[in-house]
Formats: sequence, structure tokens, C-alpha cells
Amino acid sequence: MASVRALRIGLCAALCVSAIACSGGGGTTAASGSSSGGVGGSSSSSGGTSSSSSSSSGGTSSSSSGAGTGNVAAVIIDQGPSNASVNTLFTSVTVCVPGSTTSCQTINHIQVDTGSYGLRILAPVLTLTLPVVTLTGGNSLAECTQFVDGYSWGPVVSADVQIAGETAHSLPMQVIGDSRFTTIPTTCSNTGGTQEDTVASFGANGILGVGPFELDCGDCDTVARFYYACAATCSETTVPLNMQVANPVTRFTTDNNGVIVVLPSVAAGGASNVSGSLIFGIDTQSNNQSGTQTVLTVDSNANLLITFNGQSLANSFIDSGSNGIYFNDSSISKCTAPPNDPTSQIVNFYCPANTLSLGPVSIQGMNGVMANNLTFSVGNAQTMLNNNFDAYPQLAGTNPNTGSFDFGLAFFYGKRVAVAVENDKTSVGTGPYIAF
Amino acid sequence: MPLFQLNAFKRAALGALFLAALAPRIASATLGEPEVTVQTDVARAHASIKSSQDRASYRVHEIQLPSGTVMREFVAPNGNVFAVAWQGPTRPDLRQALGQYFDAYALAPRSKLADRRHVQIQQGDLVVQAGGHMRALSGRAYLLSAIPSGVNVGDLH
Repeated sequence: MASVRALRIGLCAALCVSAIACSGGGGTTAASGSSSGGVGGSSSSSGGTSSSSSSSSGGTSSSSSGAGTGNVAAVIIDQGPSNASVNTLFTSVTVCVPGSTTSCQTINHIQVDTGSYGLRILAPVLTLTLPVVTLTGGNSLAECTQFVDGYSWGPVVSADVQIAGETAHSLPMQVIGDSRFTTIPTTCSNTGGTQEDTVASFGANGILGVGPFELDCGDCDTVARFYYACAATCSETTVPLNMQVANPVTRFTTDNNGVIVVLPSVAAGGASNVSGSLIFGIDTQSNNQSGTQTVLTVDSNANLLITFNGQSLANSFIDSGSNGIYFNDSSISKCTAPPNDPTSQIVNFYCPANTLSLGPVSIQGMNGVMANNLTFSVGNAQTMLNNNFDAYPQLAGTNPNTGSFDFGLAFFYGKRVAVAVENDKTSVGTGPYIAF
Repeated sequence: MPLFQLNAFKRAALGALFLAALAPRIASATLGEPEVTVQTDVARAHASIKSSQDRASYRVHEIQLPSGTVMREFVAPNGNVFAVAWQGPTRPDLRQALGQYFDAYALAPRSKLADRRHVQIQQGDLVVQAGGHMRALSGRAYLLSAIPSGVNVGDLH
């Protein structure tokens, strides 16, 4: 695997350099971001720019500036740049023009997402010009990233990416909402949902997809999906594996077989500015050793089998990118929309009169291993949200997929959750797996 | 005529009748509109029909899209598409699949609690529900007023 990666990286270095620059929209919107936590206005590589004294403004605290040290990145749960995030985990990353140690920018409020793959940064917070990846023949590479609720459009660029003390050289990553790629192909926009091309609509300055796979597509070298070749216009294209947007961890020189998310327990009613760690590598350093945790291999869709209330839910997952615990139990009261916001989506969340202790839940991996007798609590979503905290361990809602139980970030509170990358070995198994 | 040949003839004739009956009814991809021939829609998407099945109170067409996503279209006894569902790495062309209802879906206000993992929209008669995560998206859209009696919405996937 390592040699394959080295080859891909080498190919990428040879292929990625392009004369077409990605403007990133310049610094004109930095001011709007600064009120929400020093949104990447800094061009220095010394770290985040947020003021730690501005408590509600978010931003990684000064202690985590520059994204930590060694293989440990500081993470925080706060309101994010939209001032509205709940149960959303953020870190800082530093991106540099490939090969440069001076043309760098540190950007905070990058969401840490174990349910996606690859680094994506919103153009308005990027003051750096990163080279767009070009396909053989000279066309620029762009991507229509599809999330469940919408899509994000923008070029694939190449960057040296530093997180804590780790570096991925010439990493293909996406710039979302780039001013040079403003014409969204209809095959992208016709998939519908929200166009998530601004910090406000995205709810973060970017996203760091560190899930258990290496690439955001996987077989886009043979299937034209997500990726576009752009000249005067853009058309769907296949793309070599080494140009596809990749989980940055898999391209680190060391500590590249996965991540461990470590978060403290959070008070039942919620808390603000919860800090934790994102540790790179599993069994590669003294601080990321496996122990006696349960190792659950995920399926080809990164899913697990959860059994709850007599339901067998094969499309279930554990995911730092989900902001609640999403499952279906018709016996639990749902919230009602407040009079001043009749279309509020709060109606899809649970509002029991008293906090419920639910379970048992069992989670089964593809390796047959079971995590049994798990329990969780569901509080009144409206009551909790009225407190304006950032982290809510008991926030839960209905799941639009009736075959799924989605254990979101709340699952990670008070735990040490490891996510091992496909085909990579640790002392306790081979990825893709989730262990806790 | 030997029995075998008669049976073969009957089978061929019945098969032809069946195909003739089926062909004009294969789904259009558009919610709320009549089931019309697949040729235009499927050809436009470079897709293929995997199967067409009659269930108790509706007919379902399963369409394999080149992206790897499987789309299912549910047709009520009155001949109209009342639901579409998808599962795979991408969403299908929902502008095509939702037709006149697409804008209601696309322009629905984004929830303050949105997290890129869940969609639960009701805009008038249209309901859209979607879930999953990158590389594994699923969802369905249906018209509340058009669901045939006896159909469990949970089965529309």
C-alpha cells in the first residue's frame, strides 16, 4: 500500500502542476469571516487567527493554533463560522503551494468528518493561489461533490497540507465556490439540494474527510462520476486515481493508517467550546496504541449493522459528521415548530417530556464482531437548543432512511474512537474499521 | 400441430402480448406524470431498466444509472408516477425525476440543523427524505396525495 501511495504521489507531483491558478476569491470576504472566528484571514503559517478571548466567536483557541504538534491536532466543538453549528467538530489545517514553505495559509474551522473523504476548503477564506490539477490534454479538473442534502462545486487543486506535525505533499483537494469556476454544470446542479458553496451555506470554512476509505470516489478512474474536465465548458470525465481527492491522512509520510478521535464526556444538557484531540496513525506512536477496544469492520459503504428495538438496520454508521443521533422510534414525542418559525426542521427531532435512556443497541461489524448492550440518552431537543450550547450528547432525531441508525458526534463524547483506513493494518486488525 | 410446437407458439404469443402490454407502460422518470415510454428518459440518462415488477398496489421499475446509482420509480394504478427512490454513490437527475416539483425541493429552506447527512422536506404535496453519507446516498421523493391506498411509505426504497 505504501509503495502504491508513493507511486501515486509521484505521479501526482508530475501531473498536477498547472499554469491555471485558482484565485480563491481573494481576501474580500475575510472581513465577514473574521467576526466568526478569524476565518482564515491569516497568510502566516503560524496558526489560527482567532482571538481566544472572544468566547462565542469560535475559532480554534490559541493553544491549538497551527493545528497542534506531532501527530495530535487540536479539535473543538463550537458554533463555527456560521454561528449556528451544533455537535460539529472543527480543526485547523495549513495549506501551502506545493513545494513552498512560505506561501502558506492556516485556516481554522475545518470540520472533522469521519463520514467523508478528502480536504475541501471554501474559496472565500482562501487567500492563497493553489494550482489546479490538470488532466492529460490540459483540461482543468473540477468536482461536483455530493452530500446528502446538496452539492459543492469547484476545482481540484494541489497543495502541501499540514495538520499538526503531519504533511501530505501535493495532495489533490477541492476548492469550493471558486470564482474561476462559476458555471456549475447542469448535471451537477440537477442533482438538487442546497448549493453549499459559501461558508454560510456550508457551515464551516472547509471539511476534512478522514473516513475509512482512501478516496472520495474510488472507481472514478473507470466511471465518469463527480469529476469534470473543464476548458471553455465542463463535462463529466473519468480521472486517474492519483488525481482524485484523497483522505489527507493516507498521504501523510507517517501515521497514515487512520485517525483516533478523542473527546471528553459532555454534560447531559450540553456544553460550549468542547476541546479534544485528533490523533493521526494507529499503533504508530506511543500515543495511538490500540488496546482492548471493539474492532468493527465496516462494509463497502462504510456502514455497520445496528440492531435496536427489534429492528435490523443494515445502513447504519458511526460518524463525526452527523450532528445528532438519528434513529426511528415512533413512541418518542417529536418537537413542534415554534410559532415564529413554522417551517422549522426541529419537527424532525425528538422532544420527550423527560430524558429517555434507550437501548440496548448492538453494533455488528462485517468481521462478525459485536458491540453489545450500548445505551444512549435522548433529551428534549428544543429545551437543549434553547440553552445555546455547542455540544449536545442527547440531541436526537428521526432518520429519513428507515433502514439506518446514525450515531453522530455524540457517540464520540467520552470515547476514544479509531477509524482505520481500508487495507491498512494495525495491531488489532485491517481497515476499513471503526474501533472504540 | 405437435403439442410441443403449439406450446412454444402459445408461449411466444403470450410473451409478445406481455411485452406489448409492458412496453408503453415502462416508466417515465417524472414524479406526478403519466408512465410513458422509457426510451427518452432512459436514453437521455444512458441508463438501462433492470426490472419491472407489479406489486399489490403499484408497479415498480428499477433503473440502473451509469453512475452506479439505482433508481426506482413507483407507478400507481392510475398510471402516474407517485414516488421515486434512489440508492448509490450519487443522486440521480432529480430535476428530471421530480419534474414540476424540483424547484420546491431545490429551493426549500436549509435547516439550521442541517449536517450534510439528512434531508426531510415537505413542501405542499411533495415529501423528500434522504440519508446516508459520501459514497452511499439514498433517498426518496413522493407525492402525499398520490400514494395508493395500502402502500407503506417505508417500503418505497
